[in-house]
Amino acid sequence: MASTPWRFGRILFGFALLLWIGPATAAEPNYPQLTGRVVDDANLLSPDERAELDADLKALEDKSSDQLVVVTLPSLQGFTIEDFGYQLGRHWGIGTKEKDNGVLLIVAPNERKVRIEVGRGLEPILTDAMSKVVINGAMLPRFRTGDYAGGIKEGAKGIELVLTGDAAELAERVKGRHDADDPKIDWAVVIFWTVIILWFIWVSWRSSQSSAYRRGSSPIFLPGPGWGDSSRSDWSSGSDGGGGFSGGGGSFGGGGASGSW
Amino acid sequence: MLALMRPHSRAVSRLLALMIAGLALVGCGINTIPTLQERTKASWSEVLNQYQRRADLIPNLVETVKGYASQESKVLTEVIEARAKATQVQLPPDILTNPDAFKKFQDAQNQLSGALGRLLAVTENYPDLKSNQNFLALQSQLEGTENRIAIARRDYITAVQDYNTEIRTIPGRWWRAILYPDAQPMQNFTVAEETTKAPEVKF
Repeated sequence: MASTPWRFGRILFGFALLLWIGPATAAEPNYPQLTGRVVDDANLLSPDERAELDADLKALEDKSSDQLVVVTLPSLQGFTIEDFGYQLGRHWGIGTKEKDNGVLLIVAPNERKVRIEVGRGLEPILTDAMSKVVINGAMLPRFRTGDYAGGIKEGAKGIELVLTGDAAELAERVKGRHDADDPKIDWAVVIFWTVIILWFIWVSWRSSQSSAYRRGSSPIFLPGPGWGDSSRSDWSSGSDGGGGFSGGGGSFGGGGASGSW
Repeated sequence: MLALMRPHSRAVSRLLALMIAGLALVGCGINTIPTLQERTKASWSEVLNQYQRRADLIPNLVETVKGYASQESKVLTEVIEARAKATQVQLPPDILTNPDAFKKFQDAQNQLSGALGRLLAVTENYPDLKSNQNFLALQSQLEGTENRIAIARRDYITAVQDYNTEIRTIPGRWWRAILYPDAQPMQNFTVAEETTKAPEVKF
């Protein structure tokens, strides 16, 4: 007798699990792990060069609040570099959610392709034409002679130069950073939960006072705002000092330029 | 004393019960259709925005190419005419649910894409033009814009897919019948003919 609700519950649970696994996306590349500001999956850099580049990129973020990540890929998995680039940028969420100020420098040595993928917020500064100039001027000549480390270093330097070139504009851009980083308390949520909790206390107090008046009205727990949309949380905005590095939910719309050698 | 409190407290608990019922409905997806509708509209604006950006780049490009390759007047006029046509297409407010208007818009933009492609192919024959800084900048901007158009279209396709699926599958279908009877399925892009055709190779 008692087994019927149990079985029903199990079926429901199975359904929920199915729904949860269900929307596995179709044609998406296998993304590399975001292990730091330099993700050298194609092994083009020595450990020293990696550390040096990492420090450069960190200095750039401290100065301008922009996140620049260098990625080398052993394979584009059959995608064009433009296709791979914006999806990788969105997947990692480079740049902050408020400002979309991330940049990816992608090198795919086996396909002989390079791309600067620019987050939406930086498109007016690091324009397509500027990205192309950096690629054609600083990177491709070195890549053609096999000097990957040099090309990547100069490319990153070129991007940094563009991003920090206009001092007035940079100051304006950095100013907004601290406001954006302050965790704001959502008062609506706080008030909502306070009211609910007070209500529960009041209801239980009342039912204990006059249990004859109302019988069996146990409070039901329901999800409210602030629940269930953890995928959109802003907790991971930017990176803080040492420790790990992570994106802040920045978005990419296809800005930047590509080149091949 | 309790007797005095009762009518008042009953009203309060009724109000709270209503609030909680409202939240439960939100959990059931009563808001999903309008949410997806807004997302689709936003992606559509992005598509229009990027097409506009392309149209804005063209006069400058045409002028630059003219300076070096004025004998290619056929290709140049083709681009100018296709641009004029694409920017003149009237967009009715119901374009997203109106298959004819949507197709007209798409055809005009595809025609412009084709004409632009031919123009850029022709420029390959002019080394002076290809080393012109202004032209190189324009070309990279145009490439970037085409890339943005591709991404905007893809985002729009996903948004419409989610929305159309929602209004045709079960909880959404009921909500639509009860609350949003005017939520129509939206039009989606079809792949342009040029891109499905294999490229010709000439020797």
